[in-house]
Amino acid sequence: MKKIIITAVSLFIIQLSVNAQTLFIAKGKIEFEKKVNIWKDIDSWSDNEDGNDWLQQIKKTIPQFELSYFNLLFDDAKTLYQPGRELPLDPKVPDWFRGPATDNIVYTNINAQQSVSKKTVFDNTFLIQDSSRKIDWRITGEQRTIAGFECRKAVGRIMDSVYVIAFYTDQITTSGGPESFNGLPGMILGVAIPRINTTWFATKLELVEVKPQDLTAPLKGKKVDQAGLLKQLQGPMKDWGKSGQRNIWKIMI
Amino acid sequence: MKKLLLLNLLPVMFCCFANAQTAKIKGTIYDTINKQNLSNTSISLLREKDSVLYKFTRSGTNGNFEMHNLKAGNYYLFITHPTYADYADKLQLSDTSDLNLGTLIITLKANLLMDVIVKSKVSAIRINGDTTEFKADSFKVRDGASVEEMLKKLPGIQVDKDGKITAMGEKVNKVLVDGEEFFGDDPTIATKNLQASDIDKVQVFDKKSDQATFTGIDDGKRDKTINLKMKDDKKKGYFGKLDLGSSLNDRWSNSAMLNSFRAKRKLSAYGIMSSTGKTGLDWQENGQFGGGDSGPEYDEDNGYFSWSNNDGDDLTNNSYYGEGLPKSWSAGLNYSNKFNDEKQNINGSYRFNKLNTQGAGNNLSQLITGANTFTTKEFGNTFSSRLRHSLNGTYEWKIDSSTSLKVKVTGYTGKSNSLSVNNSQATNNLGTITNNSVRNYSSDGDNSNFVASILLRHKFKKVGRSISLNTEQRNNETNTEGYLYATIDTLNADGNLLRSITDQKKNDGSTTSSISSKLIYTEPLAKNVFAEINYNFRKTTSDAERLTYNKDGTGKYLNLSDTFSNHYKFDVTTNSGGLFFKYNGKKTTMSAGTDIAFADFSQTDLFSEEITSRKFTNFFPRANFTYKFNQSSRFNIGYSGSTQQPTIQQIQPVADNSNPLNITIGNPLLKQQFNHNFNINFNTFKVLSQRGFFIYGNFGLQQDAIVTNTTISNTSGQTINQYINANGNYNYYFGGNSFIKLKKLNANFNMGINANGSKFSSFVNGLKNTTVNNAPGFDIGLGKDKENKYNIYLRAGYNYNFSTTIVAEKVKTNYWTMNYSLNYTLQMPHKFEFNTDLDANIRQKTALFTANNNVFVWNAYLGRKILKKDKGIIKFVAHDILNQNIGYSRYVSANQISERNYQTITRYFMLSFVWNFTKAPPAPIAEQK
Repeated sequence: MKKIIITAVSLFIIQLSVNAQTLFIAKGKIEFEKKVNIWKDIDSWSDNEDGNDWLQQIKKTIPQFELSYFNLLFDDAKTLYQPGRELPLDPKVPDWFRGPATDNIVYTNINAQQSVSKKTVFDNTFLIQDSSRKIDWRITGEQRTIAGFECRKAVGRIMDSVYVIAFYTDQITTSGGPESFNGLPGMILGVAIPRINTTWFATKLELVEVKPQDLTAPLKGKKVDQAGLLKQLQGPMKDWGKSGQRNIWKIMI
Repeated sequence: MKKLLLLNLLPVMFCCFANAQTAKIKGTIYDTINKQNLSNTSISLLREKDSVLYKFTRSGTNGNFEMHNLKAGNYYLFITHPTYADYADKLQLSDTSDLNLGTLIITLKANLLMDVIVKSKVSAIRINGDTTEFKADSFKVRDGASVEEMLKKLPGIQVDKDGKITAMGEKVNKVLVDGEEFFGDDPTIATKNLQASDIDKVQVFDKKSDQATFTGIDDGKRDKTINLKMKDDKKKGYFGKLDLGSSLNDRWSNSAMLNSFRAKRKLSAYGIMSSTGKTGLDWQENGQFGGGDSGPEYDEDNGYFSWSNNDGDDLTNNSYYGEGLPKSWSAGLNYSNKFNDEKQNINGSYRFNKLNTQGAGNNLSQLITGANTFTTKEFGNTFSSRLRHSLNGTYEWKIDSSTSLKVKVTGYTGKSNSLSVNNSQATNNLGTITNNSVRNYSSDGDNSNFVASILLRHKFKKVGRSISLNTEQRNNETNTEGYLYATIDTLNADGNLLRSITDQKKNDGSTTSSISSKLIYTEPLAKNVFAEINYNFRKTTSDAERLTYNKDGTGKYLNLSDTFSNHYKFDVTTNSGGLFFKYNGKKTTMSAGTDIAFADFSQTDLFSEEITSRKFTNFFPRANFTYKFNQSSRFNIGYSGSTQQPTIQQIQPVADNSNPLNITIGNPLLKQQFNHNFNINFNTFKVLSQRGFFIYGNFGLQQDAIVTNTTISNTSGQTINQYINANGNYNYYFGGNSFIKLKKLNANFNMGINANGSKFSSFVNGLKNTTVNNAPGFDIGLGKDKENKYNIYLRAGYNYNFSTTIVAEKVKTNYWTMNYSLNYTLQMPHKFEFNTDLDANIRQKTALFTANNNVFVWNAYLGRKILKKDKGIIKFVAHDILNQNIGYSRYVSANQISERNYQTITRYFMLSFVWNFTKAPPAPIAEQK
């Protein structure tokens, strides 16, 4: 039996004219809002679940969420993800609460399945050169609109046990996404990783001209591949308990 | 979400051309209504068993697509296009499949929309974004039924055989438990595993965003959500700790602590009785079982949190400092609750403390005058008892997202009494006895304290603009009745010892109250630049009455002694204002500014009716600069200036003769002291190589430092101290430490240098007397930790102390101090645990201090963990195995070098049992995943 499943009908679809020339987007700039629930980070500092009152008290003094913005430039099969506009820093959030790898630059060549990323890990800057991450995405029927685009939900798993929930639109033909997430039949406009209480959601897409020189891989940093980085992290993070594992996930995404 | 199944009538063409080991497919996407081939349509292959994306492609400009190198298997062919309905079909591929799927027809969503709208009308339920709420108990389900069974009974909600929920005709994608996002991809886990009887309410609503509970992001999307509100009484539990220990004779330490919670309500209680120095909850226990903690403050410049939970209370959870033999009893009760979505919270606690200390000690000191040196030997016994009832209450109200109110009230009332007996004898440098004394002093008093504060804060819409008002009232009162009986022999000019007897009753009463109010306004001036303006008013009123009565002929204490009696009032009114600028950059933060304060002193001697008024104008400049090299390296330098006002005891013009050989008199002309403080810090840590170092330094300079002018009788050695201002005093400390992980040994090694010192000037017989202390040192440490096996830590520290005192001649006192410590814990088979620590303090003898003052304290315990999850431990504790512990202090001050030995807790053996118990509420479903 053949079936067509029609999902999530919303009125704005009607307003979109069916014009194949403008319907599909192959280049432009997407702004992502990254949101981290730092209260959950603080919870991970203690292995003891009974009454960590002092951590609870610290939480009261700082905001629950930390926001930051990133831009994803894309042109066909190349994407560059890098820090975008800056918010005024909230001095009430201590530096060491912001966690590692908060200003990643990720260059991905989708056709060649190669990526180069620059990540600040505490006092180190790494340049990670490796093949793109391969994720087994499970496609679901669930849909939602992000930044005006109808997106479909896919669920994947990285590093054996970390679930990644992604929302992608087939209206953008570049199979890219924020950070190292890609490999879906369209652009990923939303990512949620429950294990590290972090989300990335597109806030807007700008149809800007993207020149080839805008899409260049980062150059600076200690050269390493994914496996090498993981090895370097595992030693020191071993002593950090729950937050050590959390840091590894945050860095390795 | 509507599902519409349409039969796709197109036959799929199976063609069976043999090929290599991989399959390939091709086809063309076609829209029959607009009669066009569709480009850019995404064609995906999903594995049939789990919908995992295998491969995807997009159709070309002519609508054609091809996929190669496909593995054999069962797939879904899944075709999507932004404006067309999705297409899905099963597809079986073998090693050799080469399928031409032909023309695949897809349909515009717009054309299908009409059907959907018709269906919506049939269901006739409209949602306007309002929450629909069901009271769970109104829908009867069997005992032990799951939430799913209950949901089936709710009108407008359907649950299909797979557990998928439809509410008001729309698929429910999220099930929250108490507003907490469940982050699996299957909301049925929550509905199938929670019991219906635990649910208070079921709320169905359109969330602006599916993610909103987790992130608060509003992306304009509405999503049907069910929130399950648990009954509050299902969120109850408790945890606690029982610790019983006894040495079978005079050492014991017993405590019981319990915290029970139900929803947001917390009730905790504890009781402690100990003769081993535990006088209350320790810091960690205070977090779990205590209350009334003011919470941490974040220091933006230095990047750390600090706690202050001691509101001027000298009898707190940690009041035994190693001197004497303590017996303590304490108990506390704490209640806290949160209301109104945690917008309001209240915390109240009661605490009882009682501490009895018995002590004995002896003192050896050398008093240096220009012409003479007196050596005094003294020994004494003391007993003191302090008792206190404290109450604390805090109420916080987040009025809205930008305004908050905090009211805090704390107070205590207590009693204290003490008894002391001291004997002393002093000799001059010829060996002649210059004075003898026997002193008995007893006192009995009560004290009370009260602090109330209101803090109102408001943040404006503009980032960085805020206003806060803090008003505080403080009251402190003490009243003491004391009896002094002293027999003093002093050498007179003729070379004879003259005896005098002091037999007095002393009634001392003092009250201090203050009210203050501080208004702070901050305004953003430019990007990352802020200004802070503040105004502060404070009025402090002190009243001290010291009445001394000599015994009259009838044996009653009725003769008021003019010399030793006074009643004095001291009022200080301060108006201050300040302006500070602040820059918060990504790497650099700095701030600078000053407060200016006008202080009016009004001093009234109620005996002589003499009134003294004085005015002071002070600046309180502050400046700070911080540079962050990276997340784990920062440099900070800062300066601050502040005044220190004299206490009423320091200005009240009356003699305190509690020790008739050493009398202290206040000085009404005493000026306030001004403190300059400079500090510098640098720290860096390499996280991955696990090494780092830090450097710190602090320098304090005191202007008009409050010191004493000591008048020493050259014959008898009797002293009279009066407070006086002096210049040129400073103190400093600095040091550095580096730490490194030795990877081969898997051990941590650290070494550092440190130094501290001071210059302290005072007056002896009217002559300026200066003492310079310098004590540089270094230390090294090595630690190794093997999880669940053992950990060991070794440390050695060395300091050399140079002291130079200049009165008429230079007197030098130089000596080494050394400290060695070892701590070792071993986890043994059969849940046994062994711990030992050794602490050795070695002090070099000096010309004056010839006795052996080395202290070796060795402690150990052997324990065995018992009960489930090792929640209990039975321990055999041996404290001070060598029975060597002595209390010891040595100090060099202006004109005095002294050494003190005192009684402290020595060897005991104790058997103890510790049990940590807990009963947690049912774990939220989300965590089971």
